[in-house]
Amino acid sequence: MSPQIEIQLIAVIVAVACALPGTFLVLRKMSMMSDSITHTILLGIVLAFFVTHDLSSPFLIAGAALIGVVTVWLTELLSRTRLLAEDAAIGVVFPLLFSIAIILITRYAGSVHLDTDSVLLGELAFAPFDRMLIGGTDIGAKAIYTSGILLLINLAAIIIFFKEAKVVTFDPMLAAVLGFSPAFVHYGLMTLVSLTTVGAFQAVGSVLVVAFMIGPPVTAYLLTDDLRRMLILSGAIGAVNGILGYQAAALLDVSIAGSMAVVTGLLFMLVFVFAPYRGLISSLLRRRNQKLEFAKTTLLFHLASHEDSEKDIKPDIDTIQTHLHWTAKFTSKIIGSLEHEGYVQLSGNLTNLTEEGRSASIRDYNALFSR
Amino acid sequence: MKQKIKGLLGAVLSLSLLLAGCSAPASDTGATEDKLNVVATTTMLADLSTVIGGERVTVDGLMGPGIDPHLYQASEGDVSLMQKADIVVYNGLHLEGKMGEIFENLSGGKANVICIEDGLDESRLLASEDDSSAHDPHIWFDVALWKKAAKTVADGLSQADPDGKADYEANLESYLKELDETDTYIRNRAAELPEAQRVLVTAHDAFQYFGKAYGFEVRGLQGISTDAEAGTADVSALADFIVERQIKAIFVESSVPPKTIEALQAAVKAKNFDVAIGGELYSDSLGDPEAGTDTYVLTVKANIDTIVDALK
Repeated sequence: MSPQIEIQLIAVIVAVACALPGTFLVLRKMSMMSDSITHTILLGIVLAFFVTHDLSSPFLIAGAALIGVVTVWLTELLSRTRLLAEDAAIGVVFPLLFSIAIILITRYAGSVHLDTDSVLLGELAFAPFDRMLIGGTDIGAKAIYTSGILLLINLAAIIIFFKEAKVVTFDPMLAAVLGFSPAFVHYGLMTLVSLTTVGAFQAVGSVLVVAFMIGPPVTAYLLTDDLRRMLILSGAIGAVNGILGYQAAALLDVSIAGSMAVVTGLLFMLVFVFAPYRGLISSLLRRRNQKLEFAKTTLLFHLASHEDSEKDIKPDIDTIQTHLHWTAKFTSKIIGSLEHEGYVQLSGNLTNLTEEGRSASIRDYNALFSR
Repeated sequence: MKQKIKGLLGAVLSLSLLLAGCSAPASDTGATEDKLNVVATTTMLADLSTVIGGERVTVDGLMGPGIDPHLYQASEGDVSLMQKADIVVYNGLHLEGKMGEIFENLSGGKANVICIEDGLDESRLLASEDDSSAHDPHIWFDVALWKKAAKTVADGLSQADPDGKADYEANLESYLKELDETDTYIRNRAAELPEAQRVLVTAHDAFQYFGKAYGFEVRGLQGISTDAEAGTADVSALADFIVERQIKAIFVESSVPPKTIEALQAAVKAKNFDVAIGGELYSDSLGDPEAGTDTYVLTVKANIDTIVDALK
């Protein structure tokens, strides 16, 4: 396999692996947890370095993963007190752990090349050159295997605990009533997030981890309300972002991770504007339609109540305009549209309800007020 | 759901394979079949490989001028460069971070790898202050060490391309002479300063080897890793030192933002002493052709000129 294909393969695997736990982060309004972890793992690396004194020790990665778990657990613990919101809990834990790491480096390891990049690769361009050798045989890039395992763990966990995760995410009270601990599922999910972040960081770097974890799920959330569909869509969107991003990077000869993150953002914007129900354009259209519908119903009520009144005043266009505080243009538009639908008949300047108009008005009235 | 996800994965994989077929071909750098493709990490190593390899090699550098190796971001083109590389030249000593380990692993594969670290005598390496197991990777400002690096590159190239051995040896020999001249030039210029004035205050601890080789006392504001920020106590202590020793100038560096050294200047000013900013030193990369410092020799000469002229 050429390095180009391997990079795309790694990107796709990592994107899907990130999108699965990312979906729950987005639904639980803890999106920035991923950003938090990509920073706090530095503390794990520093602490592990103090123990091993070796920059290439695998314990540094283990330390990173451990601190990732500590980060999510601490954040969960704080937010479960209900004394502060989830995003605030992230905002407290992340700078605390990260700055402890920075202080430790400046105080005790100022002259060592100690940073996240010196331990975790974090560069997609070089991932294909880090080979997996078994008995001297080259069986592909290491990142394909590590991220593949990550994907399998995430898939298995989410398929097995799908029901539990769903109930806990949307209705923790119900989960408690049904007899399984919301805390257990929360911590489990968050541990998954932590492992995924560290594993994905190793393959694709910090910015892309956040982009892959959050971008596809928020994009999918604009398209569906169904958790199952959202998970599948997120994975698909992530994969497409990875491939399109790589093609863009190849075209422009720029950073691969950067380009993938940009495509993730662009695709989100596209869906944000054009999504069928939640998109910007369809929301605007719907709001406009609602305004028209409301005006039409109002006018029908108005005409119907005039018919009921003792005094036989037929409302002409001008009085409608003054009574309802509408502009002339808007009034004629609404009347025109009602006439077109056959609810009103115009005779000169006078508007008369048709039989359909009368029953439509009664129907609307009943739908709104009779209970 | 399992089924769906499987299907989805399959679809995505086949899409990626399809697309891979039409990715833009690697930007061709004019490499021909009979030349060795050499990829070097830093600008210094790219220059060295060009000098030693001469006509027999095409050299591509991964990091451009003015780039801090710690902040280097690979572009898509670098993938193809690495892919068609016959030889990779890298510094080692953790300068390239995790990338270095990958190059190490590459040595088992088809590509030849030249690691400058391997050609250096460990006793010549400076241990970092806090941890004896880690070494300072900025070896290039000691010309004597750079001569070792040149030998390492020549040996590596000869091994990979035995037919060119004579050429590489010849190139090495004339380059060693040039390096000797450069060394003498630096010593002569340094001698223009009285010993007490040979103090180099700069942003980042990249000049320890330079200091040791040419008798300068080096004070860096920032640790070796550019991630670590200078603490206030560091700034204040260094400001006291500057006032006490009446140091005329401090220096900014090409690959480190100048704000730390400007903060230091302000701190010195607060103690009623004026210290000038002596100019910009090249630290983690060579200069560019416009500044006339696009080779190693020109860059180190420019550095010593900047230092001596400002401290005089």
